[in-house]
Amino acid sequence: MDKTIDLAQLRQLFLTAPESEATRIVAFVASMALLIVVLWLLRRGKLREEYTPIWLGLSVVLLVISMRLDFLRWITNAIGAWTTSSTIFFLGELFLLAICLSYAVRLSSAFLHIKNLSQEMAILRTHVDALRRELSASTTDSDSSAGGNHHDAPGAAPV
Amino acid sequence: MERPRSILIIPAYNEAVALPALMKLIRDANLGLQCVVVDDGSEDDTSSVGRNHGAIVIRHPFNLGYGAALQTGYKYALAEGARFIVQMDADGQHDPRDIEKLLLPVQQGQCDIMIGSRFLDSTGYAMGPLRQMGRGLFRMIGRLFGLSVADPTSGFQAMNRAVIEHYVQDFFPTDFPDVDVLVGLRRRGGTIRECPVHMTSATRGSRIHSGLRPIYYVYKMLLSLWSAGSQRLDNTDWLENSKKEG
Repeated sequence: MDKTIDLAQLRQLFLTAPESEATRIVAFVASMALLIVVLWLLRRGKLREEYTPIWLGLSVVLLVISMRLDFLRWITNAIGAWTTSSTIFFLGELFLLAICLSYAVRLSSAFLHIKNLSQEMAILRTHVDALRRELSASTTDSDSSAGGNHHDAPGAAPV
Repeated sequence: MERPRSILIIPAYNEAVALPALMKLIRDANLGLQCVVVDDGSEDDTSSVGRNHGAIVIRHPFNLGYGAALQTGYKYALAEGARFIVQMDADGQHDPRDIEKLLLPVQQGQCDIMIGSRFLDSTGYAMGPLRQMGRGLFRMIGRLFGLSVADPTSGFQAMNRAVIEHYVQDFFPTDFPDVDVLVGLRRRGGTIRECPVHMTSATRGSRIHSGLRPIYYVYKMLLSLWSAGSQRLDNTDWLENSKKEG
């Protein structure tokens, strides 16, 4: 008896295998949970509005897919995958890569801002210290009855 | 004739031990420069040592990197209206008696930036074979971009205000501003010259040359060179304009 099976047939078998009701329910609950968490974080002010589109978009896409699993099957067929689960992993990895890259760009920009702020702050602090010294020196001068004492701000003299 | 305002910038990180000797040499050289120590978030007494030896000290709240410390000095110099600056390392490998040699040609308008080179004359500077290879590689790449500098990694430099105005921009590296920065400057019409200076090896092991940093340095520099060399210039002769305005 020939037990070999055609690969195309096997793939078709995987693609047409119906998902269990439990899978649908778990997918739907997970998507809803993600949507709710994103909205909750937004409401609590822990997630800035500018970061929400990608997460809200993802929640809605997952929600739609969990209700219409045939979409996922269609994508699986289109990209040449065998199972819907491998499609989910593939798309998930692409999504994570995009997110990581996006955050690396934002981090680079944030570092630049931090660096510029720190430099600005350091320079301002030096100016403030110099002004403070000048102020205390002029106060001492005006208090001094001898007069004629010139106080250079420490560190300000050319070397 | 009154000498144009010049500032000496010394980036320093944990240099409380080496700084006093350097400051004494600077004082003895009697250069009449405003000395600014940029303390890059040191964990030792670099700030107070610098201040006690007559320098203006700008202290970063935390360690930002050698390039960022230099840039803070440039920003301060711009804010103070300086027309020229000299930069030197705090670890004592540069000799303050060479400052005049670097600064004068820049003040006289012979070039925009003067680099103190270890390799033009036999200064007795010792360098390991790997570093020599790295230097050779970057010199070769620099030449591809029209940069002919024997010592592009030298931190001993003098420059005019046009260069400072260029260096305070966000492109300036926070870690190692070396040949990549010079390539960018050259492409924008900056004139770069070198003169031989006496340089000793750093008094302590440089952080750039320890661990895996040399590998990262080569990788980063190649990337920066590609970036600096391939950027589209909005106005190629901006430096000329800047000099005319100055």
